[in-house]
Amino acid sequence: MGYSFEQHKIIGAIEADDGFWRALEDGKLQLPRCTGCKGWTWPAHHRCGQCGSWDFAWTDVEPQGTVFTYTRSRYAFDRVLERKDDVPYVTLVVELPGADGARVMGVLTGDESGLAIGAQVRGHIRPPSAKTKHYPAIEWELVR
Amino acid sequence: MSRMRGAAAIVGIGQTPYYKRGTSPEPELKLALRAITAAAEDAGIDVRDIDGFVSYASERSDAPKLMPALGTRECSFSSLVWFHGGALPATLNLAAMAILSGQAEIVAVYRSMAETSSQRLRVMVAQNDTSAQYLVNGLDSPAQILALRAQRLMEYHGVPQSALLATTQASYYHAHNNPHAYGRNIEITDEVYANARMISEPYRLFDCSRENDGAACVILVSAERAKDLKQKPAYVLSAPMGTMEGGGALEENWRPYYATAGQKELADRMWRESGYGPKDVDVAQVYMNMNAMGIGSMIDHGFFSFEEAGEFCTLDNLIAPTGRLPINTSGGDLGEGFIHGMGLIPEAVRQIRGTSTNPVPDAKLSLVTGGPGDIMSSTALLGSEETL
Ligand SMILES: [Zn+2]
Repeated sequence: MGYSFEQHKIIGAIEADDGFWRALEDGKLQLPRCTGCKGWTWPAHHRCGQCGSWDFAWTDVEPQGTVFTYTRSRYAFDRVLERKDDVPYVTLVVELPGADGARVMGVLTGDESGLAIGAQVRGHIRPPSAKTKHYPAIEWELVR
Repeated sequence: MSRMRGAAAIVGIGQTPYYKRGTSPEPELKLALRAITAAAEDAGIDVRDIDGFVSYASERSDAPKLMPALGTRECSFSSLVWFHGGALPATLNLAAMAILSGQAEIVAVYRSMAETSSQRLRVMVAQNDTSAQYLVNGLDSPAQILALRAQRLMEYHGVPQSALLATTQASYYHAHNNPHAYGRNIEITDEVYANARMISEPYRLFDCSRENDGAACVILVSAERAKDLKQKPAYVLSAPMGTMEGGGALEENWRPYYATAGQKELADRMWRESGYGPKDVDVAQVYMNMNAMGIGSMIDHGFFSFEEAGEFCTLDNLIAPTGRLPINTSGGDLGEGFIHGMGLIPEAVRQIRGTSTNPVPDAKLSLVTGGPGDIMSSTALLGSEETL
């Protein structure tokens, strides 16, 4: 009954991305596409600033892309203590060619050798867990 | 030229000591009162006559709480500038507008912070608006989020580690001569820097600002009134706020810029409004939540390009009195202490007065930049009377 992330809602920010989390919890990567101008509106928002439409179609995107940037966290930060046993861990910002270069985040999994800006990655969609604050998440793996 | 140019001036500065985070002997509101009364005394103004109050971000010491203890006769203007540290120089813009438009005559611009609970950084600095997109993926702190930008600045745009090191060394070099600097006894040799623990790659400990408890205040009046007061005025030549299309709250989707500070158009506007350019600046207080972001600010302001960053950012170039661009001459956010950047404005004023502990001889144009990488930012150019 219901989605895990809805029961563990993180408030703040724009809060128009429920569709993203719902799809991810259903095992799909979807981003919102404006029904007016067909532009990808990411991060999700309430109105398309380009054409004025209020309607978006959540659209499947292939979970593959290139590393735009990354950081390796070497400290267990206050609000993400769930990951303290994983320190150091790498978080990526990934550019999705399938969505006009929209950038999404995610943790790197698997062999880290060859990690660099521009490297190809493939995403694996993971179900909600304590580590991801009971939200679904994408983990990225370097394509070799 | 803008009507704002030179309409108001900073005539008083006041600061409490920098305390280690969480150790202030006095509560936040009292720290604010100390800084404001010190600034009034410095200006030779009766603190009861302050009629405008301006702060930024999530300041909690608002005018209604301050008034009874300041003996305020009439508060006619009080406002907060939105966003985080990016708002710092924009406070001068707001104060100058209030004065220019006759809404207030004597405006105190201030920021006070003291840890009252573990919520402080989360609420007071981050304003509790970090989105799930970050938190789900192990990103919490500004240090981590800004590390993403720094990685891009260094790996993709080729800014060398030596540039980061030089900004850190320049900050602590200056802090050493400043008896009020929290980091005055820390010497950053190449080894100390390289051996410091990693926080979030590429950032090591000394690439990051230190959080302190404390308060600081500056007082502004009209240019006309400034002439009759006891301190040498620091005129506000321009202090624009803003962001361009493709910036704002975009969760790492900034375009076309990403790795710098999001201040390019803002800085261009400042140069236009003030009639000066980067080559004219004598000294700069560059907001450094993290040092690479400050380098991004300097790039956005046109001091150097990505390609020139390594050559420009050397210790000799960044220190007073003879560097090409002395920065953070009180020690700045890294070496002096960090109360959301508010220590930078008083130092920018001291340079024009000639009272910095690391003076740049005959400094006339003094820059202070806002929080780089903030979702909206600001920047300010202060000048002596000759620059008007
Ligand atoms: Zn549209």
